[in-house]
Amino acid sequence: MAGLANTFGRGVMTNHFIDYKNSDVILMIGSNSAENHPQAMRWILKAKQNKGAKLIVADPRLTKSAAFADIHLRHRPGTDIALLNGMINYILQNNLYFHDYVVNYTNASYLVNPDFGFHDGVFSGAGTKDGKFTYDTKSWQYQTEEDKIKKDPTLQDPYCVFQLLKKHVSRYDSKTVSRITGVPEEIFLKACALYASTGKPDKAGNVIYAMGITQHTYGSQNVRAIAMLQLLLGNIGICGGGVNAQRGESNVQGSTDMAMLSHLIPGYLSVPSAVAHPTLKDYLSKETPESGYWANKPKFLVSMLKAFYGEQATQENDFCYAWLPKHDGKNRTHMGIFDFMAKGAVKGMFAWGQNPAVGGPTAAEERKAMEKLDWLVVVDLFETETAAFWRRPGANPKGIKTEVFFLPAAMSYEKEGTITNSGRWIQYRWKAVDPPGECKSDLWIADRLFKAVKKEYQQNGGKFPAPILQMLWDYDKPGRQEPDLDRVATEINGYNVATREPLASFALLKEDGTTACGNWIYGGYWFEDKEAKVPAAKRRVREDKAGLGLYPRWAFSWPVNRRIVYNRCSCDPAGKPWNPQAVLARWDGAKWITNDVPDFGIKDLKTGDPVPPEKSAAAPFIMLPEGQGRLFAPTVGDGPLPEHYEPVESPVQNILSKQQNNPLAVRFNGSAAKLAETGSAKYPYIATTHRLIEHYQSGAVTRNCPWLAEIAPHMFVSISPKLAQKLNIKTGDEVLVESARGQIICKASVLPVVKPLLIDGKEIEVVAMPWHWGYKALVTGPSANELTPSVGDPLTSIPEYKAFLVNIRKAK
Amino acid sequence: MKGPVTAEKEWLPEDWRGEIGELTGKKWRFRMTPARVVLLALGAISVLITVYRLFAGHEAVSNLNDHWPWGLWIGFNVLAGVALAGGGYSTALLANVLHVRKFSVVARSALLVSLLSYLFVMFSLFLDIGKWYNFWRPFVFWGYHSVLFEVFWCISLYLVVQLLEFGEIATERVLTGWHALFKKAMPVLLIAGVMLPTLHQQSLGGLYIIAVGKLYPLWWSMLIPVFFLISSFFVGPAMVTLVSTLAGRAYRWTVPTEVLQKLIRVSGVLMLVYLGLLVYDLSSRGVWGLVFKGNLEGNMFILEVLWMLIIPLVICWTPALFNQRKWLVVFGALVGSGVVLNRMNVVFTGMAGYLGGHYFPSLMEWALTIGFIAITALVYMFVAENFRIHAREEEIAPEVAEVEKGVVA
Amino acid sequence: MSKGVLVDVTRCMGCKSCQVACKSWNDLPANVPDVPEFSDGLNSPAETNGYTYTTVAIRTVAREDDYVLRFCKRQCMHCLEPACVSACFARALQRDPQTGAVVYNQNMCVGCRYCMLACPFNIPKFQWDKTFPIIGKCQFCFDPNGKLNRIGQGLAPACVRTCPTSALQFGEREALLKEARERIKKNPAYIKHIYGEKEIGGTAWLYISDTPLEIFGFRQDLGTRPLPEYTASYLKFTPYVAVGWTILLTALYLYTKRREAVEEEKKSAQG
Ligand SMILES: Nc1nc2c(c(=O)[nH]1)N[C@H]1C(S)=C(S)[C@@H](COP(=O)(O)OP(=O)(O)OC[C@H]3O[C@@H](n4cnc5c(=O)[nH]c(N)nc54)[C@H](O)[C@@H]3O)O[C@H]1N2
Ligand SMILES: Nc1nc2c(c(=O)[nH]1)N[C@H]1C(S)=C(S)[C@@H](COP(=O)(O)OP(=O)(O)OC[C@H]3O[C@@H](n4cnc5c(=O)[nH]c(N)nc54)[C@H](O)[C@@H]3O)O[C@H]1N2
Ligand code: SF4
Ligand code: SF4
Ligand code: SF4
Ligand code: SF4
Ligand code: SF4
Ligand SMILES: [Mo]
Repeated sequence: MAGLANTFGRGVMTNHFIDYKNSDVILMIGSNSAENHPQAMRWILKAKQNKGAKLIVADPRLTKSAAFADIHLRHRPGTDIALLNGMINYILQNNLYFHDYVVNYTNASYLVNPDFGFHDGVFSGAGTKDGKFTYDTKSWQYQTEEDKIKKDPTLQDPYCVFQLLKKHVSRYDSKTVSRITGVPEEIFLKACALYASTGKPDKAGNVIYAMGITQHTYGSQNVRAIAMLQLLLGNIGICGGGVNAQRGESNVQGSTDMAMLSHLIPGYLSVPSAVAHPTLKDYLSKETPESGYWANKPKFLVSMLKAFYGEQATQENDFCYAWLPKHDGKNRTHMGIFDFMAKGAVKGMFAWGQNPAVGGPTAAEERKAMEKLDWLVVVDLFETETAAFWRRPGANPKGIKTEVFFLPAAMSYEKEGTITNSGRWIQYRWKAVDPPGECKSDLWIADRLFKAVKKEYQQNGGKFPAPILQMLWDYDKPGRQEPDLDRVATEINGYNVATREPLASFALLKEDGTTACGNWIYGGYWFEDKEAKVPAAKRRVREDKAGLGLYPRWAFSWPVNRRIVYNRCSCDPAGKPWNPQAVLARWDGAKWITNDVPDFGIKDLKTGDPVPPEKSAAAPFIMLPEGQGRLFAPTVGDGPLPEHYEPVESPVQNILSKQQNNPLAVRFNGSAAKLAETGSAKYPYIATTHRLIEHYQSGAVTRNCPWLAEIAPHMFVSISPKLAQKLNIKTGDEVLVESARGQIICKASVLPVVKPLLIDGKEIEVVAMPWHWGYKALVTGPSANELTPSVGDPLTSIPEYKAFLVNIRKAK
Repeated sequence: MKGPVTAEKEWLPEDWRGEIGELTGKKWRFRMTPARVVLLALGAISVLITVYRLFAGHEAVSNLNDHWPWGLWIGFNVLAGVALAGGGYSTALLANVLHVRKFSVVARSALLVSLLSYLFVMFSLFLDIGKWYNFWRPFVFWGYHSVLFEVFWCISLYLVVQLLEFGEIATERVLTGWHALFKKAMPVLLIAGVMLPTLHQQSLGGLYIIAVGKLYPLWWSMLIPVFFLISSFFVGPAMVTLVSTLAGRAYRWTVPTEVLQKLIRVSGVLMLVYLGLLVYDLSSRGVWGLVFKGNLEGNMFILEVLWMLIIPLVICWTPALFNQRKWLVVFGALVGSGVVLNRMNVVFTGMAGYLGGHYFPSLMEWALTIGFIAITALVYMFVAENFRIHAREEEIAPEVAEVEKGVVA
Repeated sequence: MSKGVLVDVTRCMGCKSCQVACKSWNDLPANVPDVPEFSDGLNSPAETNGYTYTTVAIRTVAREDDYVLRFCKRQCMHCLEPACVSACFARALQRDPQTGAVVYNQNMCVGCRYCMLACPFNIPKFQWDKTFPIIGKCQFCFDPNGKLNRIGQGLAPACVRTCPTSALQFGEREALLKEARERIKKNPAYIKHIYGEKEIGGTAWLYISDTPLEIFGFRQDLGTRPLPEYTASYLKFTPYVAVGWTILLTALYLYTKRREAVEEEKKSAQG
């Protein structure tokens, strides 16, 4: 998501599932939609059936999605940047990019500081601080003249982004790509040619990605490469195009929107830093850019504070900004937390709808770390491996002091509320059945928990009680057990403080405390649809006048019910649609005609006059200060351009530079940090992990559902027939898989699902494992995460689940 | 002449106590020998397994599975069992319908073997079916389009007929008052007792007609009912030879070699017919290639033909062998086991290729089959020792004649 | 006009939703905790069983330079002239002429398993572990007097309803045949054959594919003659054999009897 936010301005899937039917070529890379997003596959197949769309799947495994591929690129895990940069190189070398789009809507013409350089895998500005590698990004910035960025629309200046990019990717010729990735050159070139065909105005190329891309120590750079590819081909902001980051859990988009990530507060505002933002003024002045939509940030933050603290929040007291928790700058992501936990620095933990004992990297270490907790609260549907960590196989319950509380939760069908899907559609779901026994909705649990904590503070006091005691918490509904969802939703949506009326849009938010809004991006989702007479998120109108699958009155899509973001890019600067068959917006000479909610100003808010196309053409990416898509991203901490590095555990040396790994990869030094050396003889095979359609994640739900348990009852590892022959292993044999961190015994599946790849002249075997098993539920088995390393991406700290080293042998 | 022949009692006996007294008061003979103790033990085990099977289900006892819906019990107990019981109706046809009096000497023994075999078959069937409490349904709800329907009805009726036929023997000793009545019914029973097995012997083969494409083409044929019929007929004399030899040892009952030879010649002729038909069938379906393919099916087929047909035919038509009683026994053993082999080939060898999976009878399946055979043997001995089964030629002929006089005259 | 389902292998992604939906709708228990044996990580259970009416078969198929996966849902074909119905001597299997569903009535069943032997697609399966086992077989969601009825009231079967990719399509068999022909005509990738159109007299479930269906276990040797015809052509002789044989036997009986009596007389006259 960081890669997207830094390229386009928003870290979201740009289009939506139904829109896939409008694509001409789909590049699915590091995603296996047929198993993990099956409904997406429905629309991909529609595109294939109805308009002869082509599908390229880039995946080391023969996946169920690859079954539909016109070209299947079987590349080595962790070599996506080589592949993508190679494609970009092919496109630039052969002039297949969408010139008008690139010139007008990207920063291709921007001139970069002449000090910028790149040498042997490292960008300029490299240095060390506290013994750690750092980048000083000064030399990556644009050249400015009187506060204006210098540009060369001819794209000839050697310091313009376009030339820098061209130079950077020129090292990724097809031969080199093939040596790194193991994809035969001719297949790679075929894929390049096919995908480059979408660089034409009326062709839409769609890149779908997921965890195969992100779960790497350069996951954000992988995403960046995808985003750049799409900008070059003019595939952003159009029907059937986009960078479609397929999110994970059904409501992970919703929870990210609500600030699940440790560096964010709701609506993608960054967490106030204890150091940089002690006061509201510090925060607003440092965090508010001068241009782009984020210039409105103060309105969002103040409205949020009003929503949090109600009447207590006043202009005079900086809207209680002081009460907001501040970040201490330490790693507070999943791996960071467990690292601290292992060191005894964490007293208590809520595992609220999470099962790290199975899903976390180097899970055995995470389970061990939990032993250091004084208390653990698990809010879940089942007694998960996490809840039962103290009596896991091999543990001595007597030796574990952690007090474990289990709060039984209601499942999604047993409660109501909204779910935000990957395409940002916020859809209301009604309750189907009552929860069993004492299970309660998460909202109920959160509500009672807050009240209990507040009571504790009231009765016994505590440090810094104000934020708790003064928190606006008014969700009770007389005569009902459940908190009033409508009040919660209205608060998220934003309301007029005086009237308590929901606001129609975040455009109405104010900086002066007259509006309150829990999460600005959701503005309008709880505003009543006048015809349907329900809040927008509850409507279900199957109407699609444009025939593009936009369904504007089905639920609500944030922001402001826009289905395809950056849709200004669907027309040329004069407002003429690139593809007259798929019109999202059109300037008819006097005004804008729109099918989707425009992602640009079409009417002057004050005068009501139409805004001419030239104005919006200058800044189609409204969330970026410079307003244009970033082929070169000065803001990305680990490099403005993606560069191939090897996974932290790799069987081979990086052939492109001396820099073997991402110099900024997140590493730890506890026992979870054991790693195999490059080219390790002890762990000669590349391993990757993946999902199965039959199970969900840690399997807590699916392995407890008999019908799902029986259709995938056994943990297994896929090995190629060739390796199997070498190791004398047959399908169904028990094998031992071992990494530097642990070992598991599971079944072997010998099928051409994986096969050895020819890497720089050497044949290297790839093995693959699902990770859905644990020691609880109806069917049990070892978790693949006994083996995975605790290393991560510098921007997101996502663990490198997708490429590490193992050894395999027949279990006796 | 022994035993009352006259029918003085009324149609309905007035005094039931008399009848029961007759049954219980009788002195039943049964010599216990070590061998019989073993048989008894085997039988007892099979009874236990039966009960267990009926109340614990199939999986607990047998190795049958979705690939192999039919196994040892249907394949051997039923299919081979019925075939081997063919001695009953073939000798009945010869001796009692066609009045070849020579054969009367073995008719009773053959009937008994047949009756017991059919009981064995029925018990086996009953415990093989899943919902055994529903066994009666096809009597009421007629799935007449099924070959199994014909088999089921036929076998059931034939069992009744045989029981009645046996009634005629039994009432010589017990419930003698009924004897005359049985005698009267004999001709009808005799004819039904030949007609019914003719139908179901072929229908057992007919069961496999629907397995077209599943049963290996060396065995699948539209003529399979005919093959089953003929083989069930020619296996009769073989069985008679075997049983009379075994029983002869035990009971010092010798069936004249000449009688056996006659019987075996009848078999021989039919086997020639079978062979001719087989040659015709293989040719017309163009599957000779499969015979010599060298695969399991081909080899088993060759083995079956050699075993069941060719070698016995050689014995039958080589005077030097034919005139030695021991070769006649060999003939019997070969044909008997050859027909079993044929049935096994149909049920197992011929189906294996298609069905896939794996099946080998479990210990309990074997134990049950063996136990049932043991029980059958014990019952045979019991009956043989208490009723007039092993009649001598001179005893039988006039008696049968007499029986029939009552009706025909 | 009877109903049918068109299964388009080129649209199936092996998601098994249909497999699970079938269990869910039909209240079928899972084999848990006594789970199916590991087969290969893709298929589970490897085949249908007494509690599983349908499975999605997943196979790897070799192509020019690499492999592809192909998926195919399997269940009862609902033959127009079902071998199983003809084989059932207890009338426990019947074909509903309106819908074309071949349904099994457990109350009528004896458990002889002849239907298993008869079915050319190996569909009927048995609950081997039960004391009173029943046959397990796709009922086409037809249950006119029970709660499992779907197609009897015009709804698509549970599996079809659940399929995300329209790999399964429910409708009038005739209309589906037309649709199948159109798809085959439009896209050269298809094998030019509609499996089930003519096989053994036709089936309600029809398959089109770009990959030979043998790999999923579909027999290619079936021919077009309905299997029950084979049996019928044999069984039709039964009455004649029964009557003719009885008459013949009686005649022989009387004749030989008479001859014997004559001989006897002769003998006694001489003696
Ligand atoms: N049935 C099911 N659906 C799910 C989930 C589930 O557990 N089960 N989980 C949900 C969640 S939370 C998420 S995040 C999504 C994840 O959805 P996906 O990202 O689609 O899931 P994965 O199977 O983990 O990874 C996708 C593919 O990446 C491939 N891959 C491995 N290494 C590499 C690599 O280096 N490069 C590339 N290009 N590909 C690689 C794997 O072979 C795999 O096929 O799915 C969601 N949907
Ligand atoms: N090796 C390897 N490891 C991975 C990945 C990988 O690709 N490879 N993928 C990673 C990814 S992308 C993710 S998202 C994580 C997921 O890791 P986790 O989030 O730890 O795993 P889940 O199984 O999704 O945990 C969700 C829990 O929520 C419970 N639950 C379900 N519904 C509710 C509800 O309504 N309320 C409450 N309170 N609880 C509920 C479930 O029972 C379950 O225990 O795993 C990561 N781990
Ligand atoms: S969210 Fe549910 S319906 Fe949608 S693809 Fe995933 S499992 Fe299917
Ligand atoms: S497929 Fe088999 S079970 Fe289904 S109707 Fe046809 S014969 Fe009967
Ligand atoms: S098992 Fe049941 S349904 Fe099948 S043929 Fe026998 S009685 Fe009929
Ligand atoms: S039609 Fe009904 S019974 Fe048959 S497979 Fe589909 S859901 Fe199951
Ligand atoms: S639900 Fe549809 S796509 Fe999924 S396995 Fe079944 S037939 Fe195939
Ligand atoms: Mo995820």
